[in-house]
Amino acid sequence: MLEPEGDAQATAGNKRDFRRYLRREAVILALLSALAVIFFVAVTALSHIYEAQQEFLGNRWFLRGAADLKQRHFESAVTEFRAALLYSRDSYTYQLNLAEALVGLKRTAEAYAYFINLWDREPENGLVNLELARIAAQKGETEQALRYYHNAIYATWPGDQQVQRRDTRLELIQYLLNINAKTHAQAELIALAANLEDDPMQQSRVGDLFLQAQDYEHALGEYRLSLKAEPHDPTALAGAGFSAFQLGRYSLAESYLQAAASANPNDAQSAARLRTAALVMEMDPFQRQISVALRDRIVLKAFAAAGQRLESCSTAGAAKGPATIPVAQPGLTEEWAKMKPRITELGLRRDPDLVNTAMELVFSIERQTSNACGAASETDAALLLIAKLHESN
Amino acid sequence: MRATDVDIPPNPSDATLVEERRPTPALPFLGRAPEAFMRLVFREDRFFLVLSVFIGIFAGLSVVCFRFAIAWCRIYLLGSGATLTPLRMVLAPSLAGLFIAVLVIHVFPLARGSGVNQTKAALYIYNGYIPLRTAVGKFITAALAIGSGHSLGPEDPSLQIGASLASALGRRMRLSRDRMRLIAPVGAAAGLAAAFNAPISAVLFVIEEVIGRWTAGILGSVVLSAVSSVVVMRWFLGSESMFRIPAVQMERPTELIAYSVLGIVGGLASVAFSSGIATLRPWCKALPRWTQYFQPAIAGLLIGIIAVLGAPQVMGAGYVYIDEAMHGQFTWQMLAILAGLKIIATLLSFVSGTPGGMFAPTLFIGAMLGAAVGGAEHVLFPHLSGSLGTYALVGMGVLFAGFLRAPMTSVFMVLEVSGNYSIILPVLIANTFSYLISRGLQPTAIFDVLTRQDGLELPSMEEQREEGTLRVEDAMRPASRAVLDTVLEAHDSLDQVLQRWDAKLPEVRLVRLDPTGWSIITRQALEIMVKEGKGNLTLGSALSGRQILFLHPDNPLETALRYVDRWPLLPVVNRADFRKLEGVISQQDVLKRYQLFGEEEGTPE
Repeated sequence: MLEPEGDAQATAGNKRDFRRYLRREAVILALLSALAVIFFVAVTALSHIYEAQQEFLGNRWFLRGAADLKQRHFESAVTEFRAALLYSRDSYTYQLNLAEALVGLKRTAEAYAYFINLWDREPENGLVNLELARIAAQKGETEQALRYYHNAIYATWPGDQQVQRRDTRLELIQYLLNINAKTHAQAELIALAANLEDDPMQQSRVGDLFLQAQDYEHALGEYRLSLKAEPHDPTALAGAGFSAFQLGRYSLAESYLQAAASANPNDAQSAARLRTAALVMEMDPFQRQISVALRDRIVLKAFAAAGQRLESCSTAGAAKGPATIPVAQPGLTEEWAKMKPRITELGLRRDPDLVNTAMELVFSIERQTSNACGAASETDAALLLIAKLHESN
Repeated sequence: MRATDVDIPPNPSDATLVEERRPTPALPFLGRAPEAFMRLVFREDRFFLVLSVFIGIFAGLSVVCFRFAIAWCRIYLLGSGATLTPLRMVLAPSLAGLFIAVLVIHVFPLARGSGVNQTKAALYIYNGYIPLRTAVGKFITAALAIGSGHSLGPEDPSLQIGASLASALGRRMRLSRDRMRLIAPVGAAAGLAAAFNAPISAVLFVIEEVIGRWTAGILGSVVLSAVSSVVVMRWFLGSESMFRIPAVQMERPTELIAYSVLGIVGGLASVAFSSGIATLRPWCKALPRWTQYFQPAIAGLLIGIIAVLGAPQVMGAGYVYIDEAMHGQFTWQMLAILAGLKIIATLLSFVSGTPGGMFAPTLFIGAMLGAAVGGAEHVLFPHLSGSLGTYALVGMGVLFAGFLRAPMTSVFMVLEVSGNYSIILPVLIANTFSYLISRGLQPTAIFDVLTRQDGLELPSMEEQREEGTLRVEDAMRPASRAVLDTVLEAHDSLDQVLQRWDAKLPEVRLVRLDPTGWSIITRQALEIMVKEGKGNLTLGSALSGRQILFLHPDNPLETALRYVDRWPLLPVVNRADFRKLEGVISQQDVLKRYQLFGEEEGTPE
């Protein structure tokens, strides 16, 4: 189809214009791209300068802060770490140190905010978990504290992981003991003891903790392990003595406590326990390998001591009034008085069953007077321990 | 409005209409490559999208440099440590203020203020023109002001820098007037997105507060520029949020009451803040000209004194302290004091004409106020589960909604910054309270107050949103029995119709065509057709090809206005059933309604 001449010219003109427009726009696009690249390179160079300066300033303030933190100048350390964070806001190390300094200043809430943020970033960090556990423990949030302590025990640590994990578990055990969660503490202690190396100091320390957790059997075991390497360690000897004492193994306790008292003459507690243990040994008519005569003498002595205890308790009760100190059951006094004529060496020899009857009365008197009248003489204390020993047997 | 199959009388605008509706092949360049491809790419609207990406890149790079400049100014003017020396705290903002005043008065007079209104003015008054010099001036003066400790933020200046760069680029490209007008907001979105590291908020803010309307073309450009600028910014400065976001908690729905209280307090604080600016700014401007040299310096001196007296947190943008407030590092009493002092410090800086933005101070005040209200509520009701950080985040949104009066942006800003959707309910509740209180107590938004103080009359986006829209249903005559009786059906023959058309019936009547469509016929036209011997024809066949437009009741009345002069009567039909007549409308009906509307609303100034 033929186009009119004017139309054809206009179309050709339009095409020319459009081609010119295309060329212009393509050139502009190319120029813009080039400009963007140049600008980008320039800003990259500027950015390197900026970043280098930021890094330098951040590092400078961090080093100052670290030095202050080491010297326990927490206030200045906080300021300096904050300054360091101005230049590297997300630096894990800076935040961790700032949080540590805040803990030092007892600004727990602020420290917690940092630690929780760090925990979000690295939940496997041992130190962060430990600090969070400490904060939770301070706040009385036991469940949280236990969770973070356990996290910390199985977390990654810088340096010697074994030592850090052991120390964390020790701290957890101490926390459990403080909140009187003894069963839980015993479980943790057993786990700790299983992984303990042959370090007498650590074994002795674990023994102490077992003692605190009232697990005397394991405590004695740990002290014995410790004493294998350090046989004259007074602390381990005293601990072993006390453990054996608590287990009712007075003979063993006596030997350890004797050694402890010799190793450390200033250890009054061990000396007192030694005396008690010796007295228990001396006053126990049910020990094996003692003669009948000696057994009868012990029974006589114990019976007399019980009578004295009854008398002193009744006198004290009468003086202070029945309302303040409850007097032992009057039946015991009558029973004791009724039995007294029969408790002679001859009587005991004639009727060996009387030993048991007499000692049962003695134990009853000691138990009831200890409840009603409180602390008594060393002999009474020994009799009470013998009572407990045979009660459990 | 249904416009297909319409027999429209020829005129230039109709031609355009037809051109636009011509279907375009999905991939037209495949047939005539490469020219067709080039044609496709370089059509101005598409080229504008490409240009938007470049605008985003340049704005992003500029904002990165701006951030470097602020940091350097801070280091060299205030010192590199976290604790500032009293001497520097007083001297730096004062001396910088003096220098800034000289620069603003003699070299960069357009750099004064926040930058949002200037961008809006470029769109509505100056055909998109913002001198490049303004960007340079804003960059230097705002970096100095913020870096020296003036209580201002970098976001609004970034917005203006972006807009100014875009405008310069658009002029170089010799874009059409329409595109030139839009290019400044596109740059503004890029600048704001890079400064805020929040592209959605930036896009929403520009749409909500600057452009005021949504169209695919604008949205595409704004989104592209915002995204590209954020990508560039993150390339250099990383993608971390401005604050460490705390865990967001809300255990019980009843806690929304606590957030409502925050919304009320935030609304009142917003009113106090904006009233302060509205009162003090004209007062400062009215002072003798020579005082303008000293106003930023005096503002700086007073801010320095506030800092020395124990609140150095009020200096600069204060993002570090927002972060600290979110993590419970201040008592609620201290937070409340900081919020109050920051309002004073920002008032001083802003009304003195120091260049700098209000976004960061608004966020600071909101965060402090939010955490303070949260802290106080925790003292009164210890069982509340929301952390102080949550209250601080919500507080930022509250001030944004109440002070900047950008309700949608405020919600998305908090969502974007927190990255946590579970905060949505507290934010919505608190922001609504704040916005309503602020609007109730101070009807004019702060940006509109500022433009009116500057002697400009820019369209208020808030007022536009509130403006009532007249619709076709407001002007049409409803389809009563009388009206329906006049409607003719397509199957009626011309003879029958003419016989039944008595003198009582109107001269013009609507014809309902089959299967859909409408036409009109006059008695005179009918008579002519019958005389021509077409009496046996049905109306449908006689009027085929003479369809007219029809409207729907919810169409804006201005749409009707475009067509009512072409036909004496237009049908208004149901959207679900085009054959069902809802009413009729004529030019007279439309004009009568507009006349009534003018009387109801009063003549605008």
